[in-house]
Amino acid sequence: MSEVTLESLTKRYGDELAVDGIDLTIRDGEILGIVGPSGCGKTTTLRTIAGFETPTHGRVRFDGVDVTHVPPEERHVGLVFQSYALFDTMTVRENVAFGLKMRDVPRRERRERAGALLEMLDISALADRRPTTLSGGQQQRVGLARALAIEPHVLLLDEPMTGLDAALKTRLRTAIRDLLSDLGVTAIYVTHDQEEAMAMCDRIAVLNAGTVEQVGTPSAIYRRPANAFVANFIGNSTLLTGVAADGRVDLGFAELEVAAATDGTVTVAVRPEAFEFEREGPINAEVTSATYLGDRTQLTATLPDETTVALHADAAETYRTGETVSLSIDDTSVHVLE
Amino acid sequence: MSVPESTAASVRRVRTFVSTTARPTTERERERRRIAIMCLPFFALATVAGFVPLAMLVRMSVAADAVWIEGWSLDAWRTLLTEPTYRRVAWNTVWFVGLATIVSVVLGVAVAHALERYDLPFERAVVAAVSFPIALPGIIVAILVIAMLGRQGLVTNAIAAVTGTSAIDLASATAITGLFLGYVYSLVPRATMVLRGTYAEVNTQAEEAARSLGASRWETFYHVTLPEIRPGIAAATILTFRSGLAIFGTVLLLQSHHVVTLQIQREISVGTYRPDVAAAIGLVYVVFIVAFTFVGLRFVRTDTVAI
Repeated sequence: MSEVTLESLTKRYGDELAVDGIDLTIRDGEILGIVGPSGCGKTTTLRTIAGFETPTHGRVRFDGVDVTHVPPEERHVGLVFQSYALFDTMTVRENVAFGLKMRDVPRRERRERAGALLEMLDISALADRRPTTLSGGQQQRVGLARALAIEPHVLLLDEPMTGLDAALKTRLRTAIRDLLSDLGVTAIYVTHDQEEAMAMCDRIAVLNAGTVEQVGTPSAIYRRPANAFVANFIGNSTLLTGVAADGRVDLGFAELEVAAATDGTVTVAVRPEAFEFEREGPINAEVTSATYLGDRTQLTATLPDETTVALHADAAETYRTGETVSLSIDDTSVHVLE
Repeated sequence: MSVPESTAASVRRVRTFVSTTARPTTERERERRRIAIMCLPFFALATVAGFVPLAMLVRMSVAADAVWIEGWSLDAWRTLLTEPTYRRVAWNTVWFVGLATIVSVVLGVAVAHALERYDLPFERAVVAAVSFPIALPGIIVAILVIAMLGRQGLVTNAIAAVTGTSAIDLASATAITGLFLGYVYSLVPRATMVLRGTYAEVNTQAEEAARSLGASRWETFYHVTLPEIRPGIAAATILTFRSGLAIFGTVLLLQSHHVVTLQIQREISVGTYRPDVAAAIGLVYVVFIVAFTFVGLRFVRTDTVAI
């Protein structure tokens, strides 16, 4: 497996800038998630690493070796697609062995290695079936086995779980994460599902408009978002404006004991779970909507300064629109944006 | 007793079918009526223009007097089976059109690949250039071939100027190569149009997957694209071959190879007027095309390609 480095990676299509000078290192053996809204450049970045796009500027390196102009078939990259992209005219085993066949691996060895991978992914019973006869989850496992068969420098997964049902997604992401960790595969996992990225990845890069907004562990990204975009894109945040001074931030209607890098006006990101429901809290908010979600009730409420906040409330309690709830903010769960 | 009963039941079923189609009460029956309304005009036309003339051909081919269609005789069929000329014409037709079909489909695959896989500059102009020979009468194609490869032809004289050879020796418009080029030029657009539709269905991500797994462009085409477009190739082959068999104007003008359409024309020409033989050839031609199409369709997935 390899370390992948992107240096000032830029891709322009005519006047449109799809990727704007990305610098990123994917460490050997790590799973890096790339998340971002539609059109942020995540798939273009992935395709550039795979060799299907040549960057307008910048370089792609595998273990320090410049592969920017190396064609896809010589990059030794495994690709797993959202649409599975299996070879429908071949059996499952032939699909998995295809990359080995292209590398002139002898037939018997191909069969053995394909068999071992199918076993590992728990789909050996499907070896002689055609992909079109398999379920979505089974097809995705075949796609993964096929990509892993060539022992790639890096495995690129482009929204591999989109389209699968929630329960299967949860099962499959645990299986894939464990497998990739066991094999020590360097993997780049593109998804628009932040929860999936958090569950699967060692680190996450948040992309927006072709640039990297923040790279960090799932916990760091969630707890210490670098800016308002990340705070809003990863999870749900309420951005409150306050005045910082002497290790405190005065929000006007409440005061938080949280240090800011500089004194003056600051923006504070508060996650829904940082709001605590109190019998007699310092903050009163008026409920504007309540949605029962099974494990919790999601509330939106208006603070005294007219800011709308998202709250996670106990599902056992009943809330009505127009009701006033009493809140406090857990100082340790808020983050001052820089 | 069971036979008349089952006949009566069948008649009842047909009557019910016809009456419910005429006066439907369920959505299924209304759908059947819509289908009947849409298809009836064509079948009415096909009856007048196809089925009845075909029946006439059958009768002509076994008539003692094919002009007035009177009497009975198997002379036309005997002539067809015994005279070597007709076997030669059949073989000439099959190999010549078969070869033109293969070349046209290969060229069609290349053109369809280029059109569907790449963002070509002036793509509409390219599509127009590729498709317009469909609208050209065969005689015009023959004139184009003469203009290029005839004694005064552009290509002939260009080659003559470069090599110093006589243009008269080089001229190939009325040789079999000229006719072959004319056939291919007429047939390539037919193959291309069918194949473009097939190419639009090809899973491009599967092709990318193949390349990421180490397949070169050619290997990707051979292992991934070709199996996917195989039904389209079969459909294009059937359509192109059938169209090739029907070419007449080009061969009438260039006359360098004796194929079936030219033979039919000769059978009904003044001097050798034998309409019964012409009718028999026409029938063999129709049966051959129908059989060829049925066999060919076995290789075509009808849900992906239509002919």
